[in-house]
Amino acid sequence: MSLRGELNKVLSTAYKNWTISKRNAFTLFELIFWPLVSLLSIGLLTRFLETDQETVSFLMVGAIGLTIMQVCQIDIAYVLLFDMWSKSIKNTFVSPVRGYHLVLGALLFGMVRGTIVFAILVVSSKMAFGFEFLAGGTLMVALFLVGIYLVSAFIGMVVCISILLFGQKADVAAWTLSGLVMLLCGIYYPVDVLPSSLQIVARMIPLTYFLEYYRSAYGFGSHHILVGFGLALFYVGLGLIAFEMAIHRARRSGILLRLSE
Amino acid sequence: MAAIIARDICKGFGSRSRRTEVLRSINLEIAEGEIFGILGPNGSGKTTLLSIFSTLLRPDKGELMILGLDAKRDASRLREIINISSGASNFPWSLTVKENLRQSGMLYGLYGPRLARSIDEAMETMDLWPYADVRFENLSSGIKQRLSLAKALLNHPRLLFLDEPTTGLDPQIAIKTRSMVKKIHRDHGITVLLTTHYMPEAEELCLRIAFLRKGSIIALDTPSKLKRDLGLGERVTIRFRGSIDEEALFAVPGMISASIEEGRAELMLERSEEGTSRLMRLFSHAEILDIRMEEPDLEDVFLELAR
Repeated sequence: MSLRGELNKVLSTAYKNWTISKRNAFTLFELIFWPLVSLLSIGLLTRFLETDQETVSFLMVGAIGLTIMQVCQIDIAYVLLFDMWSKSIKNTFVSPVRGYHLVLGALLFGMVRGTIVFAILVVSSKMAFGFEFLAGGTLMVALFLVGIYLVSAFIGMVVCISILLFGQKADVAAWTLSGLVMLLCGIYYPVDVLPSSLQIVARMIPLTYFLEYYRSAYGFGSHHILVGFGLALFYVGLGLIAFEMAIHRARRSGILLRLSE
Repeated sequence: MAAIIARDICKGFGSRSRRTEVLRSINLEIAEGEIFGILGPNGSGKTTLLSIFSTLLRPDKGELMILGLDAKRDASRLREIINISSGASNFPWSLTVKENLRQSGMLYGLYGPRLARSIDEAMETMDLWPYADVRFENLSSGIKQRLSLAKALLNHPRLLFLDEPTTGLDPQIAIKTRSMVKKIHRDHGITVLLTTHYMPEAEELCLRIAFLRKGSIIALDTPSKLKRDLGLGERVTIRFRGSIDEEALFAVPGMISASIEEGRAELMLERSEEGTSRLMRLFSHAEILDIRMEEPDLEDVFLELAR
């Protein structure tokens, strides 16, 4: 198989996600409505509490990071969710496509959507609350986004793996996992306020490091961005292997057929 | 070369304590270029067997060679040269016919002019151009079925699996679908393996047939040989006026079954000169209004085997 052929296998998922999204008016809710509601709620809360600009920055970084992660991870999960909802999963897995083709294609589309949401939120937060998101420079923004996309890829894969292991009922994982991450990674508070056992868990999640990295530009302590990337790449690699294994297991258990009925 | 060589294929589902054996030691050899049918009642294991052959499912036990490749070890390479179309086919609802074909073609690594040509050919073969821009959710069952067949042709497979290709279609569309299957086989020289529980379909399309019952193959041969070997005889229906000796009727040589009701005799007998002559003599005292002789069809074979 040629490189171009391999690339098209990757792009097949991006093409499907794009075509479905452009026909769905509710995509606008995912791209604009919910991200803005989330941002404005946090921003207005800071006004009500009369917090200083540093605290506003702390919370805004968390709100924007979480929103981009949610948008991107759901795109990865859509790899199987769209097929499962339309009962067409058989068509995908009878073809010579591998797990990494599906994940990479969806990640590509998720990154495009995540970057659009990021742009909307950066402009909105500047206009509404005077928050300067680009204060750390473009490299910092790029590294922050790449980190978040890697975390999203892993969470999206966990959702896909859950579906292949436990069937349709597991699609709820698509929405709950990011909530769990929100609780542990210090989206709206530093992880130091967590009980010590949960702090250990938080330190195992790369998003914690990416948030600390970005917040360091606003005067919030030091960061260990390399640890974050190391963990993120490890989890993505682990996720890809686990996804292939889950596909292999699904071919034995017959769940691919059940999801198509 | 054999398209499929299956040896001792077994498959079960469920946990150890609640395990259901769906396929029991299936042995099968299908030649390249053949149209082969798998028949059986619901729950006999047809779809499971087809899913194993198309690599959607892995067997618990057994060896499976497809087009010279080991279906377990070389599954990825194998998927490049096979394809499947299911009766109750589904695609992403909001994609149009052409978009669904494009996305499916991309999954097979097709790109550029080759992808465009494959889509055009498949649309042409399945007569889908009028529906090119219609979303899947707005298509009728017949057109969805044609889309599924078109999808299955995109990678120019050497082996095509059709899972109950006419289930749920009205008779006119079913006839059209069958003629399309014949056309695909004729024009592209593809080996076709289909499952059905519709006997005339198997008789019309298949060179050989395997009957599956409770996960085992209970008969495998050409339709005509299956009918002959089971000794089903011929079905003779005689409408008559008058009376005949019923006891003597049952004693006719080669008589398998007989029922007489209100001037109508339904007989099943093996053809022989002596039997036909005795039968004619028996009815010579009555006035024969109508006589009809029919070869048994696969329905009869199926009922006989399912007993």
